[in-house]
Amino acid sequence: MMRQPAISLRHRRLRPTMDQTLGAPSIERLLLDGWETTNLGMALVRFSFLSILLALASLAAQAQQPSDKPQPTQQSSADAHISKGTQLLHDQLYEAAAKEFEQATALEPNNAEAHFEDAVCLLALGRNDDARAQFEQVEKLKGSSRYVTYYLGRLDLLANDYPSAIKRLNAVAATPPFPDTYFHLGVAYVSSGDTEKGIAWLEKAVKLTPTDYRAHYRLARAYSSAGREQDAAHEYALYNQYLNQHKSTETDARACSEALRTQSADAAHDVCQHMFDPNDPEKLTLLGQLYGEAGQFPQALDPLNQAVKLDPDSYEAWHDLGLTYFRLEKYADARGPLEKAARLRPQAYGTVVMLGATLYMLGDDAAALPVLEHAHQLNPSDEQTAAILDKLRAEQPKK
Amino acid sequence: MATRGIKPQPRGKPSGLPFHAKFTDVAAKAGLTAPVIYGPPDRMDYIIESMGCGVAFIDYDNDGWLDIFLLSGTRREGPVAGATNRLYKNNRDGTFTDVTAKAGLVRQGWAFGVTVGDYDNDGFDDIFVSAWPQNYLYRNNGNGTFTDVTEAAGLIQAGNRWGTGCTWVDYDRDGRLDLFISHYVAFDFDKIPITGKDPACNYKGVPVNCGPRGLTPERPMLYHNNGDGTFTDVTAKSKVGAVQPGYGLTAVAADLDGDGWQEIYVASDSTPSLLFKNRGDGTFDEVGLESGLSVNEDGREQAGMGIAIGDFDTDGQLDVLKTHFAEDTAALYRNTGHLEFEDVTLRAGLGVEPRYVSWGDGIVDLDNDGLPDIFWVTGSTFPEVERMHPELPHKGPRILFRNLGGGKFEELLDGAGPAINEVHASRGVAFGDFDNDGDIDILIMNINEPPSLLRNDSRGGGHWLKVKLVGTQSNRSAIGAVVTVIYGDRKQSQAVMAASSYLSVSDRRLHFGLGAAATADIEIMWPTGARETLKGLKADQLITVKEGAGVISQERFSQ
Repeated sequence: MMRQPAISLRHRRLRPTMDQTLGAPSIERLLLDGWETTNLGMALVRFSFLSILLALASLAAQAQQPSDKPQPTQQSSADAHISKGTQLLHDQLYEAAAKEFEQATALEPNNAEAHFEDAVCLLALGRNDDARAQFEQVEKLKGSSRYVTYYLGRLDLLANDYPSAIKRLNAVAATPPFPDTYFHLGVAYVSSGDTEKGIAWLEKAVKLTPTDYRAHYRLARAYSSAGREQDAAHEYALYNQYLNQHKSTETDARACSEALRTQSADAAHDVCQHMFDPNDPEKLTLLGQLYGEAGQFPQALDPLNQAVKLDPDSYEAWHDLGLTYFRLEKYADARGPLEKAARLRPQAYGTVVMLGATLYMLGDDAAALPVLEHAHQLNPSDEQTAAILDKLRAEQPKK
Repeated sequence: MATRGIKPQPRGKPSGLPFHAKFTDVAAKAGLTAPVIYGPPDRMDYIIESMGCGVAFIDYDNDGWLDIFLLSGTRREGPVAGATNRLYKNNRDGTFTDVTAKAGLVRQGWAFGVTVGDYDNDGFDDIFVSAWPQNYLYRNNGNGTFTDVTEAAGLIQAGNRWGTGCTWVDYDRDGRLDLFISHYVAFDFDKIPITGKDPACNYKGVPVNCGPRGLTPERPMLYHNNGDGTFTDVTAKSKVGAVQPGYGLTAVAADLDGDGWQEIYVASDSTPSLLFKNRGDGTFDEVGLESGLSVNEDGREQAGMGIAIGDFDTDGQLDVLKTHFAEDTAALYRNTGHLEFEDVTLRAGLGVEPRYVSWGDGIVDLDNDGLPDIFWVTGSTFPEVERMHPELPHKGPRILFRNLGGGKFEELLDGAGPAINEVHASRGVAFGDFDNDGDIDILIMNINEPPSLLRNDSRGGGHWLKVKLVGTQSNRSAIGAVVTVIYGDRKQSQAVMAASSYLSVSDRRLHFGLGAAATADIEIMWPTGARETLKGLKADQLITVKEGAGVISQERFSQ
């Protein structure tokens, strides 16, 4: 039996600022492009998270009933700090996130995950030496991993230590941990003066990420240095093409956001459909987020469904799709995407708690209970989850 | 304005090396007390009120002492008493006298850029001012007065335009100074969206003045000097007008590839900066992208404001420094030859300072140690933002990076005198030795405040050499020449320019710190392309070199 929630919809007004660079809202990109702002995308994800909390609040209100069970513990645990930190990191609140991870490492000094996430935050904050120390700590605890090696390579590059950057990035190039591994390796070679090898890796980079204008620009510059003017001209042309596409996404997103805020749904839909690129999962995800931000959930479904088809490993796309079904109260449809998102990010409290809520709404209490317990473990201070858990636990013995 | 959200690089340990230049603001003592009016005192409702203007060191009376020309703005609601461009005559005793009225230069309006050069080759420097809605040209009459000859010269533009960067440049090497002008946006007080009107009029969540994004960009213009006091618009013919419109600000002209023909570089605000390569046939190719001077290392445009040209690594090639908006670094480009530049900002250590909106800049040897240092001024365009974001203050300090050699710089947060940390909303900067004591002083425009005049009291004992060029076949101002001085194991080049920094004009006498070297050789490439070499010149003097005649005067300053 499906439960009927009384979810109050609230919409936070979106006002992108002039310096926002819209792009792929993936966490990897945020981490890798520490020097670019992707606030709009993240603002939307943050909004999504808030909406989950609102939804949970209403569920909790339904679930309120006297309970003689003890209140959930407020005691901090490393997992809880990691979960909070993960959410803050997701929202680009690096400083606050780093504090959470540092609390986690204080509680569990050997928690490699906490050290790793802390290092990622510190890198985004430009605290390169501190980031390096944390990554090195992870290495001490867990041995070398390609992710840590990648980040240390990038830190070497930022420190102009090209030989070390090359050594490290080369070591992970066979199975690159992130799509831009080749890009950074190529840049390291070019910066070290080895233009020929730099070109070889940048050529691989543009094959792997053909729409990354940065890679085309760097490759064009490298060709130019090598006197390969024709090749350079070709790459400059591609750079211009993809940069313009990127800018067009920025422009379209601003226009769509403004239209959704100020125009009728039909008129806004006409404006926003310019963003519907059936071959660009990042753009489609962003479009879905913009519709979701405006409360136009039915319109969000098409782009998000298309996005997960194109990029089945995109946590954001699955999460947003699940959220959209959830907001449409199509809990059976929400379940699959949320399960997928939770598999991709098991520590993402927002996703886990929404999956628990979905299962609860579907009446699958047996499945909901462990998920909500996990959510509660990730965020022990969430009273709404605790209330629902109490109710579920109270019902368990009766079955 | 484009910003990249850049976080500062960590600062290394201080070198602990002494810095021998100390700066004191002596503007008030020198008599520079009139504020430079630029929009309302407490806010900036329109972008035109936020951009400020340039300043110039000019020896208008040829007495060998630098005089000062200060531009001015106004306020939208109407004329402001005392707001005018001002000419100050150097009294040769550390003070200046306001001779604006006597010189016929009283004028109130929205002035932005200035370029100084002897366009009519009569031996006296003339002044061109870029402005909204019309630019103007003053011919120096040679008797302490100027005449507005804009209309007679054929420089009145159709409609209202916002001229910003401007520079004299003899692009066709005919011995006469031509004129390049960049433009910012199409501006009309009545048509500009109001503060906070749309997403482009917000910064950090605070409603602010609109632009440049969202406003109509403009193309630059080039005028050819006909030699009879008039100019002809050759924007199309020269292909300068073939570029995409952009938000152009400072323009500089210098021979960046050493082929004897001057390039023109334009710092653009949130659109790709432009580098016009001089083809030597009266036309230009825009090669900013290919040169590496157009966008940042990731291929994105930056908010270009000011441009400095100098040779920071003393390899004999002219390098480039461009300033940008807050949360971005200034960009230092090393000239690798053949008009290609490498962005060495982070490697050089400049990444530690992305905090402020940055404007007028220079690559200048401030302590005469033989290594050119880096200086720029700061100030926000959005005073309203400071209330919510104290980390983005309206008034900012002066930024000084001392050159450590080996391509490395160190920011001096203190130790260079009291004037460095004083905060102002500054824009234009000019560098020059106003007191003729053998070091470089700094003149700064501050919005709605009197200017700053930073007197340099350099005590390190480093030697120096000043070089003044007089053209004969070349234009008389020798604008476009490149002088390379060889001292010790260094080889430093400087260009004679008619404008640089942010919309400003520096001392045209080139100043080379020589460090311990007591003698130097110099190589001159004149604007005509002719080369001249002078050997074994003694340090600590100003030499004047006349094209084809060698050194015609040597002057030692009394310190």
